[in-house]
Amino acid sequence: MTRVEGSSPPGQELLSSVGAAWTRAPYPSLVVDTAGALVEVNAQAARLFPAAGKGVPLARAVPDWLVEGHRRAAVGGADAAGPVRGRHEQWTLEAHATSGADGQVVWWLVDDTHRELAETALRNEQERTRFLAEASSRLLASLNTERCMEVAVELASQYLADAAVLVAPAAGRRHPLSLCAGGEVEHRTLRIDPADVPGLKEALQGFPPVPSRWIDPSALPEWALPDGFTGPVGSVVVTPLPGHGVPAGALILLRRSDQAAFDASEELFARVFAARAGAALSAARLYMEQSSITATLMEDLLPPLLRRVHGVEFAGGYRAAQDTERVGGDFYDVHPGAAPGEKTLAVLGDVCGKGLEAAVLTGRIRGTLQALLPLAGDHQHLLRLLNGTLLNSRHTRFATLVLASVVRQENTAHLSLTSAGHPPPLIVRQDGAVEEARTSGTLIGVLPDVRSVTAEVDLRPGETCLLYTDGVTEARGGPLGDVMFGDARLRDALAECAGMPAEAVVERIHMLVAEWIGDNRHDDIAVMAITAPRTTHLTAVDGHTAGRYTA
Amino acid sequence: MNTAPDDSVFHLDTAHDASGDAHIRITGDLDWDSADDLAEAARTLLCADPAPRRLHLDCARLTLCDSLGLASLLMVHRTCAEAGVSLHLDNRPALLRRLLDLTGTAFLFDDDATGAEVPDTSGEAAAPPSPPPPSRA
Repeated sequence: MTRVEGSSPPGQELLSSVGAAWTRAPYPSLVVDTAGALVEVNAQAARLFPAAGKGVPLARAVPDWLVEGHRRAAVGGADAAGPVRGRHEQWTLEAHATSGADGQVVWWLVDDTHRELAETALRNEQERTRFLAEASSRLLASLNTERCMEVAVELASQYLADAAVLVAPAAGRRHPLSLCAGGEVEHRTLRIDPADVPGLKEALQGFPPVPSRWIDPSALPEWALPDGFTGPVGSVVVTPLPGHGVPAGALILLRRSDQAAFDASEELFARVFAARAGAALSAARLYMEQSSITATLMEDLLPPLLRRVHGVEFAGGYRAAQDTERVGGDFYDVHPGAAPGEKTLAVLGDVCGKGLEAAVLTGRIRGTLQALLPLAGDHQHLLRLLNGTLLNSRHTRFATLVLASVVRQENTAHLSLTSAGHPPPLIVRQDGAVEEARTSGTLIGVLPDVRSVTAEVDLRPGETCLLYTDGVTEARGGPLGDVMFGDARLRDALAECAGMPAEAVVERIHMLVAEWIGDNRHDDIAVMAITAPRTTHLTAVDGHTAGRYTA
Repeated sequence: MNTAPDDSVFHLDTAHDASGDAHIRITGDLDWDSADDLAEAARTLLCADPAPRRLHLDCARLTLCDSLGLASLLMVHRTCAEAGVSLHLDNRPALLRRLLDLTGTAFLFDDDATGAEVPDTSGEAAAPPSPPPPSRA
């Protein structure tokens, strides 16, 4: 490195301490005397501060922060003063002072720019990562779409912009909107024209965002401004919220004109945030859609409350599998006979599989049986017709069920029981003996033809016929947690139910099975008890009971 | 005690023997999770050229068969019937025999009942080819 024109040979004192190499040192260095004038400027310093030269007052050659640093170093002692830092043009500098002879101060300057930039970048990146982590956990915390939109605009207005507006896809012709300018979130449902905001129509279709600088802030329509937003809009970002396959909406970010406009990295970050918000929002939307479908179906598919019909007790109990698909494959129904002397048809069944498909099949079976009620006297015929309506070439999903036609004659309930591939009903007698109804048959919905054998069973007062699904016998639990409840335990449980009312039998079986299962997962469990009442009272003529019968 | 990992996880082994019959050995639980695999494996075997004359399902290592498992067996039966391939359910464990008896479907898999036997629904009067009435053991 050559000597810079204008810089004089170093003074005696300096030479003695740093040597001739000083002028060629790779770092800028200055010597300042007690009067605050420059005594020496090395080559690097001269390049950095063009106005610096021997005899020039420090204040005219270097930035204020260094002048201030020098003032303090001169008073407090150069060696005691720590380094001072500041900016000069595009650089960030760190200046270290050491004391020379005669109260002179030597300043050594270190270029700190890259470290500073790296630290800033790292800090920004850490902040963004923290923000994204927080955003994800808050966004995914709710499966409610409105709440999800609310969180998205809250986060966006806190971290990304002065205000944020989320435009959801139109429901009908109206778009749900969530707006936030830092305070409360507003929800609006408006008939808007997305074309009013440049880039919004495209964003709602899932196209990539247009650069912020192409959007004229003054062209924003009134509806796109949250109530709390004050001051003119300075810059706008419109970014799509990518969903699962279909766009989940679009996010409009607004900054006031007194704030810096969105730069490229901020726009990119907005897209990263939008991707998370979009994923959360579409998950919430799918969930809401599914749960509304499920709720609609549930209304129709939930087991009915059973009661006493024409002098016979009916009670049902249903415990759905704990899976998220709440509609299970078990079902039961009781269709009362038109008059006391006519047969009541009870049906309990199990549809293969779970969830929506099973629910649809269950619905078809229950609907078809209702329509076929006039033919309920002939179980075999009824099952053939039902089977015919369920045949499907695409799959082999089947149903198994038990039909019970019940009529009371004197004190006796007379039952015709037909199993279509289903576990045969169990009968508990007055003395606690448990019998299996001798019925069997083919499952329905798969084979072109079905066959079945019907059992005729009479129940005397206090005797119960139990219809159940295999969720009972196949419930896993017990002391070891993986043993099936099984036929034997069910028979033992039922043996203790002799003489009990139907409702008590159902309660008891459910309780024992629930105890057995404990915390284990289980399938749907459905039971129905049909009981001939133990006693009937002549006084109990209330329209529901068969008061004219006596025990 | 560790059991062999092979037997605790559901899997299917498919093979052809010298006489051109196809074999599927089922190991593990045939349920919601695995039912489709069996139907798919059978379909693949039946599509082979030349098609096998018989399909044997070896159930010796079957540990569970739920309603969807049975549905997949019925699907395999249907596929075989359509392809004119006879289906044999070999080495049925008690749990499978019980399920087939209960659901009145055992006759479909009897060795005498070949895939060609598909009762036709059109002729109601023609009773003989229809399945025998299921009986409870």
